[in-house]
Amino acid sequence: MAATFLGVRHHSPACARLVASVIAAQRPAYVLVEGPADVNDRLDELLLGHELPVAVFTSYRDGERAHASWTPFCGYSPEWVALTEGRRCGAQVRFIDLPAWHPAFADRSNRYADAERRYADVVDRLCRVFAVDNVDVLWDHLFEIAPVDRIEERLAAYFDLVRDGPAGEDDAAREAYMARWVRAAVAAAGDRPVVVVTGGFHRPALIRLAGLSTVDWPDVPRLPEGAVGGSYLVPYSFRRLDAFDGYQSGMPSPGYYQRLWESGPAAAADGLTGSVVARLRRRKQVVSTADLIAARAMAGGLARLRGHPAPARTDVLDGLVCALVTEALDIPLPWAARGRLPAGTHPAVVEMVAALSGDKVGRLHPDTPLPGLVHDVAAELDRYGLAAAGTRTLDLTDDTGLAASRVLHRLRVLHIPGVRRDTGPATGSDPVLAESWTLTEAGGGAGAGGRLAALIEAGGYGATLLDAASAALADRIDPAVPDVGRLAGVLFDAALCGITELSGRVLADLLRAVGAVGELGPLGTVLATVLGLWRHDRLFGTRHSATLGAVITAAVGRVLWLAEGVRGGAAPADLGRLGAIVATRDAIVHCGRTVDVDAEAALAVMRRLSGDPAVPPDLRGAAFGFGWSLGPSNVDPVRAVRGAADPQTLGDWLAGLFAVAREEVLAAPVLGVLDELVGALPEHAFLVALPALRQAFAFFPPRERERIARHLLARRGLVGSARSLLRLAATPELLAEARALEARVDELLVREGLV
Amino acid sequence: MAGDDIQRPPAELRYADELARLRDADRGDRPPGWALSLDAARRFIVGDEAAGSSRKFVGDPSLIDRALVTLATSRGLMLVGEPGTAKSLLSELLAAAVSGDSTLTIQGGAATTEDQIKYSWNYALLVAEGPSTRSLVPAPMLRGMAAGKTVRFEEITRCPLEVQDSLLSLLSDRVLAIPELTGADGMVFARDGFNVIATANTRDRGVNEMSAALKRRFNFETVFPIADFGTELNLVEAEARALLERSGVTVPPRRDVLEVLVTTFRELRTGLTERGDPMDRLSSVMSTAEAVSVAHAVGLRGWFLRRDAGSPADIVACLAGTAAKDSGDDLARLRRYLEQQVTWRKGAHWKAFHDARHLLPG
Repeated sequence: MAATFLGVRHHSPACARLVASVIAAQRPAYVLVEGPADVNDRLDELLLGHELPVAVFTSYRDGERAHASWTPFCGYSPEWVALTEGRRCGAQVRFIDLPAWHPAFADRSNRYADAERRYADVVDRLCRVFAVDNVDVLWDHLFEIAPVDRIEERLAAYFDLVRDGPAGEDDAAREAYMARWVRAAVAAAGDRPVVVVTGGFHRPALIRLAGLSTVDWPDVPRLPEGAVGGSYLVPYSFRRLDAFDGYQSGMPSPGYYQRLWESGPAAAADGLTGSVVARLRRRKQVVSTADLIAARAMAGGLARLRGHPAPARTDVLDGLVCALVTEALDIPLPWAARGRLPAGTHPAVVEMVAALSGDKVGRLHPDTPLPGLVHDVAAELDRYGLAAAGTRTLDLTDDTGLAASRVLHRLRVLHIPGVRRDTGPATGSDPVLAESWTLTEAGGGAGAGGRLAALIEAGGYGATLLDAASAALADRIDPAVPDVGRLAGVLFDAALCGITELSGRVLADLLRAVGAVGELGPLGTVLATVLGLWRHDRLFGTRHSATLGAVITAAVGRVLWLAEGVRGGAAPADLGRLGAIVATRDAIVHCGRTVDVDAEAALAVMRRLSGDPAVPPDLRGAAFGFGWSLGPSNVDPVRAVRGAADPQTLGDWLAGLFAVAREEVLAAPVLGVLDELVGALPEHAFLVALPALRQAFAFFPPRERERIARHLLARRGLVGSARSLLRLAATPELLAEARALEARVDELLVREGLV
Repeated sequence: MAGDDIQRPPAELRYADELARLRDADRGDRPPGWALSLDAARRFIVGDEAAGSSRKFVGDPSLIDRALVTLATSRGLMLVGEPGTAKSLLSELLAAAVSGDSTLTIQGGAATTEDQIKYSWNYALLVAEGPSTRSLVPAPMLRGMAAGKTVRFEEITRCPLEVQDSLLSLLSDRVLAIPELTGADGMVFARDGFNVIATANTRDRGVNEMSAALKRRFNFETVFPIADFGTELNLVEAEARALLERSGVTVPPRRDVLEVLVTTFRELRTGLTERGDPMDRLSSVMSTAEAVSVAHAVGLRGWFLRRDAGSPADIVACLAGTAAKDSGDDLARLRRYLEQQVTWRKGAHWKAFHDARHLLPG
């Protein structure tokens, strides 16, 4: 008997209902489901009675690539319904797709992510014809809200239309494999029915391939030689399922669809309104009865206009937003676009999306086998003698000490309780070579807050401690929030954990975040630190790391962009931004050959900055010094110094110059010119220039200041000790007394309200 | 009256054929006082090839749904957004679809008075006959209420607050009192089909100064710049081509040049580059409408100065006037953009764009 092919959309209640009714009606011999075939021998584990949503987590790592992916199930997943209903009617239930670690899934982290984005053109055309905003709305309109009659044919027509053209290579491989299962099952079932539940896009291909002649059961692919990986059940959450929240998710708004699945569209619409209003009122937002009436009237009107028997998801949302938001929005409504909520979304809209998302979190049955991470951590802790409570001091120059430190740091970044670092290096350039840790046995049981519970959750990050820590660090990089301090923290934690290279996507996120930093000073600090790690650090093994090299490239580009945006007249020297210019120069000098930094572009920016009167003097000075220190042939420092001789800004300009090109200044006739300029200043102008001049010369260390003093003596034809010029004539006691007096005067002034 | 010499006929004349076709085929329920059903009105605006109706507004279809349903309720419709996002066009289309008449329009401004909104008098007749319906000169609001039609109020936030608030009783009680007249003439009750579409742009005073009472009587719809690059490019191309044809230019604009233009406008508008780096936004308006006018100017320069279709260098020459206007800061931002954010892109036209940066004045 031929198989019945049900093409579904993942996480669609309408499809789940169809699957349940077809299985109940046919009582098939086999139910074949799109899912990882390597989990087939562990289906009992999957059906232990977990609280949904749960997911099969699969990790994979070999010499070339690392991959982690999830196969999530919730109550209304058609695949889940196929599993449970198939079991209930006594059918043989099988997953028939390639394992999640197979190269065909290399760029997917969610097996049940929407395939529509691969067929965007057709979907766009359909959206235009039905006059809807996007595929989610289209789907609701066609299937979730529409009456259920003839849904099977309509689904087939939809997917045939959307799957218009040949599949990509990855999909073709999966379809060929799935079709082999189908043929074998049909042959084995004899005259009993077979039901095949797969993504709708695969259905046409499977029907075509089901007619081929081979009928033997296919092998389940084994992990290649040298690769490690495995699948474990992890608790999942509606938040992670939600397309508004994540990268590669299925349908949006799982909370809403759960209600739709349980109690139908009218009740789901009411529930949605109720929970939005409750959330808003909890936040002390006024939602009046008149607003609610308006919202309901709008939702009803929209449903009628759009031909829905009951208000659909976006009808309710549109109604609420019309009634509740009485100002201009900064960001388009998230359900008109797709993907993550952008920053700046209206707070009422954020609450609406949260209400749709729901906050359900799955829970595993106590008998579920534990994810690999738990065993991996236990083994690592044993290996380095870290299992027992107590304090440890680790020598980082020793291989064992370093390895133990990395294990503990990995636990730390995973927020596993019971691990605390008391002392240790705080930055890449900190000359501290030992760490001390306090280890406690934080609740060995599985209770909330216990180490075991935390490890199971962290198991979602990866099956080994290294994978898990890498993934946890990757999660901390949010390109939408370019916080330099956080980025620096991630990079340093990565070094401490011994993760020297970040994977492609994480690195891309990191670089985007660096490219979005808005302040020059902090960016300079990060660039200097990273440059230090890249150049010197053998302790953490970060020397010449490609990741840090890429960060350097991005940071240099961003510094140049930000520097050119600095405008404003005379202002005190900003040491932060001078530091950024110095770090950029150092990056070009020290890694210009190995790392992709564009020295030409940098020089061009600096040339423009140094000649632009609208740029603050310190930056102009630094920009001039930049050009001088990199290409001394085509600059004329004497003229530049004379050009900057305004007593109001001279000191700040010099501060910039000295910060970047101290050595060049000492070697060139600039000091003479400066001496001449300062000597010619009238008394008042000198006093104006003095504080900034003092600050500028502070860039020279004492030994160089002595050289300058010697130079000055020589210019005046005097003989004497240069060092004595640098010494204060007064005794330290006198200075201390003066300072105490000043403090007292300040205090009095403050007390009398005079300052 | 639709003579060919009218510079810009109103929507109901421009699309008279489409409206007639939709009206004839319209089987849906019409809200009281409406010229079309909601569904037909929607198809008039978002387009429907089968019904012979073109797409007239590029934006989320759900926006049109919400706008139409709002107009069928007792709340007015407030379209807000950046200048140049086609708010006025949308309001005109909505009025034409709902009432078949988009000419009942009040243009808001600092000098708008209640007379221009409600009614005024023909003073010769007033002096001769006293107050009467003959000497009354109805303004758009009064006419719309009496006839049950949609009234458009453009740039409502540019009116003084007290003038804005004169709408309060009209919108809630749906009645306009004319105290000078006696008897039944003294009260004009709004007929079915009357509603108000107001527009406001977020660059002027914004809607924040509007009274809460008036805000409550409107549903707000924000009209956004076009989100999709391809859609915006197509729109700019089509509009620029039409404008150039009217100006006697026989070569169509070059697509690669328009790509540079539209990309530049989008990036300067959003403050984000294609690859996602934040940069400075210009303070002046970089709307699609402005992009069309620059594309038009580029085509004109190319054709009348050199007899070609316009080059990336022409964009630079035209940008200073549109984008920077008289703001030195914007000019500096623009220069920085041309210096630093153009070089990393691939393509000869981007290179030409970069090479022409010296054409910026100053």
